[in-house]
Amino acid sequence: MELHPIPQPDELDIREKEDASGAYLMMFATTALGLPLPIVNMIASVVYYFVNRSKGRFVKFHALQSMYSQLIVSAINSYLVIWAIVNLVNNKPFTDVFWGLAIAVGVFNLVYFIFSIIGAVRAHKGRFYYFIFFGRLAFVQVYSVKEKQHEKPVNLPPKM
Amino acid sequence: MKLKVKHQESYSRLELLLRTLFGFLYIILPHLFILFFVSLWGAILRFIAFWVVLFTGRYPKSMFEFQVGLMRWSLRLSARIYNVADGYPAFGIKGTDEYTQFEVEYPEKISRALVLLRLFFGFIYVYLPHGFILMFRGIFVNILVFFAWFIVLFTGKYPPSFHNWVVGQIRWNYRVSLYMGYMTDTYPAFTGDELPEEA
Repeated sequence: MELHPIPQPDELDIREKEDASGAYLMMFATTALGLPLPIVNMIASVVYYFVNRSKGRFVKFHALQSMYSQLIVSAINSYLVIWAIVNLVNNKPFTDVFWGLAIAVGVFNLVYFIFSIIGAVRAHKGRFYYFIFFGRLAFVQVYSVKEKQHEKPVNLPPKM
Repeated sequence: MKLKVKHQESYSRLELLLRTLFGFLYIILPHLFILFFVSLWGAILRFIAFWVVLFTGRYPKSMFEFQVGLMRWSLRLSARIYNVADGYPAFGIKGTDEYTQFEVEYPEKISRALVLLRLFFGFIYVYLPHGFILMFRGIFVNILVFFAWFIVLFTGKYPPSFHNWVVGQIRWNYRVSLYMGYMTDTYPAFTGDELPEEA
């Protein structure tokens, strides 16, 4: 696989490092707005990616990795929140299965939080940090050299 | 910080009437609708910037520029609401305006001790004294805006002293916002006038 040049920390300016680091902090979006809606984090990650993807591959990689991981975390959190709301609205009891899932989601969020902080610190130092699965996915998407889709020229002169 | 609203030689009476009668529909409503969502994003970035400043002592430049752009947009809108500028305010963080100007020097370092001080005691030593004066000043400014409306309608001129008071109110508010938004370490001055270093 042909790759674009991978930048070293001293080749990146402070702004790129800050922008890359900021991507991981989108997990605080819900806290910032004070809304118990996990989807806010997801929206923030998506917005951050689309706003910053043109700021260089280093920033794009970290923003993409953060967005992919945030999508999964937000989906799981949303599932739990919706379940809780449905139970509350319908006056249903919270089963052991619910609490089991709640604890699992709590642990999952804690792990995600720790890895995101590590990612943010590494990005701020101008270094790469790969999450399981998402790191490779984002890296390939951002750094692999894509072959040209159209070998033949698309624009042609009129037929004489 | 540099905040200016150009004092025009003459003001359009037609625009004044249009703004008064329909301004809510064609200026305030569309701008506020979009500003609401952009401000939500601004709130998220401000919260994140707080933590970044606390740990690194540096405000991320992209976030800083976004906040300044947001304040610039808000200034364009405020200038029309107070009738101190003609024309339609441009939409967007990167929008430009021939009548308003807002520049903030990017600080390379922000004091982390001051960040904590503002967080815990900002209400007492910033919001309370400034808010107290700004509230009464704001009432006076609104009275001036009311009289200025008639003066512009009949003469097409906005009295420069009235203009200075109104712009001073906005400027003062912005200084407080910058300080409490951790974007500067300079304590806001108790005046709406331009400071010597801002001229």
